[in-house]
Amino acid sequence: MRILLAEDEGQLSRVLKMAMTTNNYTVDTAANGQEAVDLAQQNPYDVMIFDIMMPVKDGIEALKELRASGNHTYTIMLTAMAETDDKVNGLDAGADDYITKPFSLKELLARLRSLERRQDNYSQSTYSLGDTTVDTSAQNLSSSNSISLSKNETQLLVFLIANAKKELSTTEILTSNWGQQAQVNAADLWIYICYLRQKLAAVKSSLQIKGAEGGPYQLIETGESNDSTPA
Amino acid sequence: MDIYGKYAPNLPLILNDVLTQIKAINEQHVQAGGAKLYEHLNGRVKTNDSMIEKCQRKQLPVTTESALRKNHDAIGIRIVSNFIDDVYKNVELLKKADWCDVVKEKDYIANAKPNGYRSYHLILMVTTPYEDYDGHRPGKYYVEIQLRTIAMDTWASLEHEMKYKHTVKNAAIISRELKHCADDLASCDVTMQTIRQLINRPD
Repeated sequence: MRILLAEDEGQLSRVLKMAMTTNNYTVDTAANGQEAVDLAQQNPYDVMIFDIMMPVKDGIEALKELRASGNHTYTIMLTAMAETDDKVNGLDAGADDYITKPFSLKELLARLRSLERRQDNYSQSTYSLGDTTVDTSAQNLSSSNSISLSKNETQLLVFLIANAKKELSTTEILTSNWGQQAQVNAADLWIYICYLRQKLAAVKSSLQIKGAEGGPYQLIETGESNDSTPA
Repeated sequence: MDIYGKYAPNLPLILNDVLTQIKAINEQHVQAGGAKLYEHLNGRVKTNDSMIEKCQRKQLPVTTESALRKNHDAIGIRIVSNFIDDVYKNVELLKKADWCDVVKEKDYIANAKPNGYRSYHLILMVTTPYEDYDGHRPGKYYVEIQLRTIAMDTWASLEHEMKYKHTVKNAAIISRELKHCADDLASCDVTMQTIRQLINRPD
């Protein structure tokens, strides 16, 4: 992971950089908020760690500016223990996490490891159930056959696989993370269910989506194997 | 030499008869209120040279028996439809037809080939007024029918170009992209079929 550290206290900055570098992270440092913005606009970072109190431009201003320009890099704010407002302002400005000062190096490194695990999970690209696999990066559904999926079909099917066997109401699906992000309504959902049903059948998957228009919908694995008809 | 021997003149006549029968099936279906079952209907008699080459490739003796009995595609017909449902409807109606028997079928739509090829293949045994290889009259002849959607047909043309060009640059990448494209087209075919069913579902 490549990390941008913005911290105006030279001594602290050097210690943090050293610790992260020994843990195989690549670290660039900025001594104030403006430098941080400039570096973030030039280089691809996986994580940004911003102190709040910095000269020229503080950490919150720098983050707001970057977010407004479309930079969504995961950002951890370094805040003073007593200042609840700093935490709130930092999170509202677009930070993803904060660490209160003074903090131990062990804690910072543990958070970076936790983040890496999470990003690994997020980027997991294949989901399987029974004889069926969804490849989210290729947007492909395969069983004894394969077929392409749209983005919404891919994400809905992954959601249904993660919640297999559960009876899911239309509301539950629409208020899920996927439903919120895809901005779909009940009628859209029904059409996606219809598409997925026919695509599952087209690849001879043993998975089936039960439920009439309006839901609830339930992804189940049927007993029959798909290899009964040799090519 | 003519590998089809004295039966050669019968083949275009049989092809024409079968095309007429298929057109009749479609007309009946349309008259009964159904949608037309295909967009394109084509047929060909395999040329003498191609049949000889095929027998040699399959290590069969270059004889009339090989051409008309061991191989089944001396007469070939392709039925190209708008929608997947139409392909299966054509198969269903051909199985019901009294002028032929389905002796072999392969559903490469449900079971696509690893390269992405999708199509439905039928081998028909057709009863004809002509003498056949066994000396019978009415005689029996094989006819191969390939049924597929327009998307599958276009893909097959592209794959054919690739197969018959001997040196293709980046062949592995092109094959991978062809497979990818086949899956995209299958997605379109299935999506169009789903929409069509949503349009036509009873209220």
